[in-house]
Formats: sequence, structure tokens, C-alpha cells
Amino acid sequence: MKAFAYVNAANEKEAIAALGPERGRMLPLAGGMDLLALMKDYVAQPERLVNVKNLDRTVAKTPDGGLRIGAAVTLAALAQHADVRRLYPALAEAAAEVGTPQIRNVGTLGGNLNQRPRCWYFRNEEFPCLKKGGARCFAVDGENQFHAIFGDGPCHIVHPSSLAVPAIALGARFRIVGPAGEREVTAADYYVMPDRNLYGETVLAPNELLTHVILPAPGTAKSATYEVRFKQSHDWPLAMASVALVMNGQTITSARVVMGAVAPVPWRAEGAEAALAGKRISEATATAAADAAVKGAKPMTQNGYKVQIAHTAVKRAILKAGGIAVV
Amino acid sequence: MADEQNPPAAPPPSGPARTWPPVADRALLGKPIRRIDGPDKSQGKAKYTYDIVRPGMLYGRLLSSPHPYAVVKSIDVTPALKVPGVKAAIALKDPAGPTAKIWYQGEEVAAVAATTEEAAEDAVRAIKVEYEILPALATVEQSMSANAPVNFPKGNVSAERLTLRPDKADVEAALKASAHIVEGTYSTQVQTHTSLETHGGICEWNGEKLTAWVSTQAVHATRDGLSRALQMQQSDVHVITDYMGGGFGSKLGPDVQVVIAAKLAKEAGAPVKLMLTRKEEHLITGNRPSAYAKVKAGVDAQGKLTAFDAETWGTGGAGQGAGFNIPYPVYAFGVLRQRHKDVFINAGPQRAMRAPGHPQACFITEVVVDELADRLRMDPLELRMRNLPPAGPDGQDLPTQQWRKYFPMAADKIGWSRRHATADTGSGPIKRGMGCAANRWAGGGSNRTRAACEILPDGGVVMRIGTQDIGTGTRTLVAMITAETMGLPLTAVKAAIGDSEYPWAPGSGGSTTVGSISPTVRIAAENARDALFAKVAPSLRVEPAALVAKDGRVQVKDNPAKGMTWKEACRLLGVQPISADGAWQQGLSSSGTSGVQFADVEVDIETGITRVKRVVCVQDCGMIVDRITAESQVYGGIIMGIGFALFEHRILDRNTAKMVNPNMEFYLLPGMSDIPEIDITLIDQPERGPVGLGEPPTISTAAAIANAIANATGARVRSLPLTPAAVLAALHEERSGGTR
Repeated sequence: MKAFAYVNAANEKEAIAALGPERGRMLPLAGGMDLLALMKDYVAQPERLVNVKNLDRTVAKTPDGGLRIGAAVTLAALAQHADVRRLYPALAEAAAEVGTPQIRNVGTLGGNLNQRPRCWYFRNEEFPCLKKGGARCFAVDGENQFHAIFGDGPCHIVHPSSLAVPAIALGARFRIVGPAGEREVTAADYYVMPDRNLYGETVLAPNELLTHVILPAPGTAKSATYEVRFKQSHDWPLAMASVALVMNGQTITSARVVMGAVAPVPWRAEGAEAALAGKRISEATATAAADAAVKGAKPMTQNGYKVQIAHTAVKRAILKAGGIAVV
Repeated sequence: MADEQNPPAAPPPSGPARTWPPVADRALLGKPIRRIDGPDKSQGKAKYTYDIVRPGMLYGRLLSSPHPYAVVKSIDVTPALKVPGVKAAIALKDPAGPTAKIWYQGEEVAAVAATTEEAAEDAVRAIKVEYEILPALATVEQSMSANAPVNFPKGNVSAERLTLRPDKADVEAALKASAHIVEGTYSTQVQTHTSLETHGGICEWNGEKLTAWVSTQAVHATRDGLSRALQMQQSDVHVITDYMGGGFGSKLGPDVQVVIAAKLAKEAGAPVKLMLTRKEEHLITGNRPSAYAKVKAGVDAQGKLTAFDAETWGTGGAGQGAGFNIPYPVYAFGVLRQRHKDVFINAGPQRAMRAPGHPQACFITEVVVDELADRLRMDPLELRMRNLPPAGPDGQDLPTQQWRKYFPMAADKIGWSRRHATADTGSGPIKRGMGCAANRWAGGGSNRTRAACEILPDGGVVMRIGTQDIGTGTRTLVAMITAETMGLPLTAVKAAIGDSEYPWAPGSGGSTTVGSISPTVRIAAENARDALFAKVAPSLRVEPAALVAKDGRVQVKDNPAKGMTWKEACRLLGVQPISADGAWQQGLSSSGTSGVQFADVEVDIETGITRVKRVVCVQDCGMIVDRITAESQVYGGIIMGIGFALFEHRILDRNTAKMVNPNMEFYLLPGMSDIPEIDITLIDQPERGPVGLGEPPTISTAAAIANAIANATGARVRSLPLTPAAVLAALHEERSGGTR
């Protein structure tokens, strides 16, 4: 990797001061699970790394009954946290399935939410793809078996964060700090399509940091995440889904259904949400919602199979939230 | 492959008849013995080539071509020499000469040596290379297409080779007369060896003499290769391989990178370590070629296989063959024909990989056999049993062809009687099924193998043999056989291997290591022990032939009280150790193995994902030397077979021929949680002597899994790997008309 300078930030202020406005030149380093690999592959070549592991990693209760989680918390700590597991099963389940125990012991919540795409053209410096400032997306007529089935490009990555998916389903807000102070955006608004930001995947400016994830009180919502991976461990999901179902007794009053690994952003399935409203959780309801979720999918030349897998993920996430055995 | 299946007859014995000790007398042989270097390996004390650091050592790095097909127009290494810490930089292509052409991605263009790995990486990036990029051929379909550019000197496709057995058989008439015909196209993917320790070595010059620590499965061939490449005396090259992290057929010589390390070391005047990166490992160190077969096979109404006709092709990359013989020679088809062509593409050339040709041939044949059984509505195990080779005139199967015995044993273990005939009709998306397949391998041993044994006056024993432990436990076997022969505990002997200055032994390939070294070590140990007996006999006033070495003593066979401890016996040597050689003889080892594997799988028909729940294996390997290391070979082979079945796939971008998954993220290998329960029954054949076991256990796994998936789902996948996409596509096809 290219040689770089290192700044050990003690707090948010020092971290922001050490970052800069130009994309890619100064980068925050937390667990490094994604960033160091990007650097070894010369896809990222920062001049300066800013260590943000010293920032907040606590899980604190909010006055309204929700949680405020410091982005430096490790995935292992998040997956094991009693309040997270009790209040937000969808998030705890997703955290528990990331990578391997080693990755979860080092990787952080903030790092997971901000990781870069795993697209094998993006990750290979020999392919000057759109996302790296090149002229074309090599996946379009190339090897696209793991690429997007939703969104119209022009870049066909799938967003790699499996925690972003439950974060949106659970209505999370992200606290962001920058030189001008702090702001909050919803998780759903945080991720943007390639037509809005081709060279990144979020609204985060190069000199800003995502510091906290704020989860509203779950109320009567039942949530779950279901991931479909080929390998049982250390593999990326072929597709996944998180759901949060707000219940009134046995009836779903409203729902959030979000799919992962199917589009350049976590993909909200509003059709599925409408199909669930007013229904009871059952195999038939879940199947109807899954049908609606994959409606409009536009697979590429080799990833048509992912439509079926996304369908299964949505159906099983709904059943899992309802406590119904999925297989 | 013909050589593997039909080994040449061994030469006649050249010395006194040799035997293994009677089974009842064996203290170590055949027992479950933990590998002697296990503790060192697990504590990090065992130093692999990758771990070795020499004083003043530099780090070498290759500049590999990013282009799969190109001409190097110019190379300028001077910018690399300006990078701080860089001590040498050399061009490996001559833009003006015949080496200017690049045939595949990753080909070596230049190399550097520097004081740190980081400086070396910076330096290769500073080298200026001008390429003329040419249109590459990425797939066999592209190479075979009529309007493809001709990228290879002898054309993109080789001449057709015809195999016709029996001679001039009328395959078409036999097919026409068959009651049922199966016709289909079958294929297997390119698999890379993916050794955990990448290829490479450390080269250190002392004047005109070279010492090379190399990750190799052949210390002698590496010594010979280095001396040839560097135009040196063989005696001036010394190759050492104490421990190595896997080779699977891809590390049988010095390879370009070790020769380059030697050149860099010479240029820099310091030792140079050059280990390949994981990406280079995938690109340039070989692979299992792909296989494609258009098959037409028949069976008569009674379940007798009639004919097998195949048009086959495959690619071994740039200029390399992709041969495999079908039908896989387990079942007796009446007549058969194979017409084969090698197809060349701009990708890294193939190398021998664990049972070359066999897993491909086994998959295609065993799937066809299952499909024929489906046509007959016959249990596929029954069809197999009806078509095994006929027993000999004595009514017995050959010791190398024991499938008639093994199939029922494994069927019983897996619970074949509970297998449903067609697709799992149970409710829910998880479908369960079973499948099976058979394998064979030759193994054997090299009659050129030699060993040297020393017995020291203080009682120490050293066995020197220029073999190497590719990971199979060879060091442990050398120690076991020596200790057994001397009547000593395992810890009392030293197994000295992995050094080209020890007596010649072959490369660890073709599952021939155990068959080469076991007889030779036994004979060297016996010769040394007998020399000790000759020294000791006068003081006991008996003939040397009356002595035995047992339980740490040298004693009279019929009167064990009469004797002395091993140490007392050795003290009689005074100052002169015993030094005895051993040469391989026939009779202490054999060739030929057979085995079967059964798989029990679950397929999720809503995701296409297969989970292998259980693999049952019945396998022979002649006389078992160490039960634990033998079983380890089978575990490893089956796990690799699961990788071949489900996960492993070298994927080239179809437009550029560049590999998109040269890593271990998207080049999937089975992880711990993907490994099922593996049930191994090793059949001991003590009368045959040892037979190699490294390769056979990986041959049948994919075929058994593929057949189990079809049994579970009712849908037939005819290509590897058995990905979710492939399984879902087959299920879709089955629902809309049938895959059968």
C-alpha cells in the first residue's frame, strides 16, 4: 500500500480537524477491515489516516426508550448487547452474521455502515470503472452474477452494508459531525444512488464523520433480518432482508421492508409494506409481500437468480419476525 | 492419465526378499500416530519458507502483466532503482526478442528486490512498461468461434484425438440397439490449487554456490531445475524444504519465481525472498483445466451399460492441454468412443492438480450413470453393481477394484435403504437426497528412491531421505518405519527430510511418495540394524540372524533375556557410527486403489443453496502406515472435493480475460461451517504394502454431491460448480418441461 501519515484523534473535534474536504486524501480508520484491504489493493490511496477508534462506543438509552449507539462499537459487542438484542432483533441478527468472529471483534458499526462496495471491478485497480472515474461499468456486459437487480445504474454495485438494511427498517437516524457542527439524517436518506454520488455511496462529506446511530423506541414493532449466503460463514449475502412490523395485537398496522445486496443502496420495498398493512403474519401474507418486493426487479445478464433469492429473504424475514419457523 | 490407471510393471526385485513385520508384532505401523511435527506446527515453531528470514535478506516482488494478451514494447526499470531501499531491478521480457509476447494475465515482466516489502511494491509500480494490448480470448466459446482471432501459434483448438475401445467398435450401432439413451452436455470449471502457502523461495549465494529455501513438493527436481536455469553444477545448488504449506501438484519444480529470486540475489549481493501474492498465486501457478463433454450413452433393458460416445473439449489455458478420459474406467460400457480437442485461451496454464483429469471424468460419467438409472427406473446403486468389471477367473475382484465390496458397505453406513427414489416430496423448501460415485487411482512408487541410515554410538538413529512433507505426514512416516524396524520408540529416531543433499527421492506427486519412501526407509533401516547385529552378535556368542531389535533392546529372538539395551549395543560401535544405504525394492509397496463416496445433502429449493450434511467414504490404500495421517488425507480430499463441487471457480471477465476473483473473498473455499460430518472407513490391506492416498479421496466427492442434489430436487445440474444460480436454473427448467 502507499505510505501514509497517521493521526490518533482523541475526540470528535480532533478527528474532524484532521480530516479534509478532498475526497480520498484523508480517511477515518476504525477497525480497518474494509479500508486496509482497499489500500492494499491500491483502490484507496489516502495520504493520512485518522484513527477514530477512541470515539464513542457506548450503547446508551435515550429518554424516549430508544438507544443511541456510538459508531466505534464493535460488531461483536453490538451483536451481544442485551438491549440491542431485546429491542432490535433485526440489527443484532445482522451484526451477528457479518464476516467471521475475527472481523466482528475488530470491525465497527460505523465502519460497516460506511464500507465501500465489494464489486470485483471496483475492487480491482486494473478496471478503470465508473466509480473510480472511468468511462463505463464493466459489470453491464461482464461478470454480474453478484450485482444489482434494482436501480438503473449507471453503476450496478450492491451496497455491502448488512447493518444499513435493518437500520433503515428500524427507522434509525445517523448523527454526523463536521466542521460546521453536527446534523442528523435518517438512515434512509443517508444512502444515495449513483446518480447522486457516483464516487461514494452516502451523503457524508469527506470531512464529516458518522458518530452515532440513534434508534427510536421500537414500540410494538417486531423486527427480524434474514440473510441468504452460499457459504455459511465468511461470505457476503446473495440477498438479505430486514423487516420491522408494527403490530396491533395480531395485525400488522404498518411495516418497513428493506432488502440488502440487491441495489446500490439498501432497497426499501414499499409495495411489500403496503401488502402487509392490515394483515396477520402468515405464509400467505409473507409470500404476497415478497411478490410485491421483487416486482420491478431488473436483473442483469447473469443475476436473474437473485430475484428468487431476494423473494425468499423477504418472505423469511417476515415469518421470522412473526416467530414462525421459516424452513 | 493412462499411466496413472495402468502403471507399468515394476522391475524385478534386486536384493534379498524384504517383508514388513507380521501384523501382530507391529508396535507403530498401522496404529493411529499423531504427526511428530504437530506440536511445532501448532506453536509456530515449524518455520515454513514464508517464515524464514536470512541475515541481510531483501524482499523480491514481481511486476506481473495486467494484460492477458499483449506485446511488451519497452521496459524501463530505472525508476524502480531510484526508490529508496531498492537493491536490484531486472527486466524479464525482451521487447526485441521472442519473449516479448504476453500470453496470459500475471505473466512476469520485471522484478525487484528491496529492503522492505513496501519498498519492493513501490518499486515495481515505478517500472515503466509499454504494452501493445491485443484482443484476448477469455472463454472456450470465444476461442472455438469461427470468427475468433487466432491467438496461438498452432491455432486456438488442437487437432482431434480419437479414443475407440474396443478397437473399431461400432458405437452408433450399439447406441441404436440400446433400450434407453441419455444425451446431454456436461461440464466442470477451472479450479486453482490455492495452496495456503503461496509459491516462492529464498535464494542465498555463497560465492558460486546457491542455497535455496523453497516451498516445493520436489527438492531434487527443484535443485535440478535451478541448476539448469542458472547453468550451474547441480552440486553447487542446495535446496531445503523443512515445511511447506500445500502444493497439490503445482509445486513440482523451481518455477520462475525462484529462478528470479536467485538472479535478484546475485545482482543485489544479498539473499532475496520472493513469495507470490495471492493474486499471482491464482493467476500463474496452475489450475485444474475445465472439461466439457457432449455425451450419448445407452443401457439395455436389463440394466447392462451398452455404449458411451463423447465429444469432449476443455481448456488448460494458454497453450496447455486439458485431457481427461471418459467414461471414467469403473463401469464396463460395451463399446465407447471419445473424440477430444484442447482449446486454448489467454489464461494461466494448467498444472497437475490432485488427481489430474479424474474428478472431471468421474463427475461426467457418474452423473450419466445416474441418469441412465433414472431412465430404467432402477436404483442407481443397483445399476452400478450390475456394471462393475467382471471378477477374475477365481471369482475374486482384483485387490485394486474392490467396488463390489465397498458400495454396499458405504450404502449401509449412509442409510441408502431410506433413500427416496425420485425427488423429495416432503413439504417445505428443504429437500434431502443421496448420491454416490466411485474412484480409482494408481499410485505406486519410484524404484530410483534411496535412503541413508546412521546409527550413532550414543544410540541415536538418523534416517536421511530427500523426500519432503507436502503436508501428508511424510516426516512422521519416515520416523515410524525407522523406529519400528529398530524396535525403538518414535522419539528415539530422527527423520531428516526436505533437503536435496539427502539421497534421491521423487517429487511428492501422483500419490507415489508413500510407495517410494516406505520400502526404501525400511530397507535402509534393516541394513543399518543388521550391521549393528553383526557388531553385537559376537559379544552375545550368537549368529547375527538370531537377533531381534525390540522394545529398546537388542536380544536373542528365542531367548529375550539374553541381550542388552539398544544404547549398550550402540556403545559397542566405539567411535564409528553405522552408515547404511537403502534402495527401493519391489514387494514392500503396491499400486492401485479403489474407493467409493456417498453424499447426503439438503437443498433449499427457494434459494438454490446446497448444504452437504454427510459424506461417507470407503477407501483402501494398501497397508496403512499411520491411521491418523491416512484419515487426514481423506478428510482433506473430501473437503477439496466439496470445494470443487460447490464453490471453487476461476472466473474470467469475458471481455478482457482478466480474473475477477483472484482472492479468497470471491474464490470461495469451504469454511469450517461448510464442512459436513465425514465418515471414513479405511480398508487395511496389510499384505499389499502401502499405496498412496493423497489423490483418490478428492475424485468422487463432486459426483456424489451432484447426484444427491438431483435425488433431492428432481432437477439435474450437469455443470460444476453447483451454485445457487445453477440449481435454481435447473429447478426452473425441471418445472417447465424437465431436465431429464
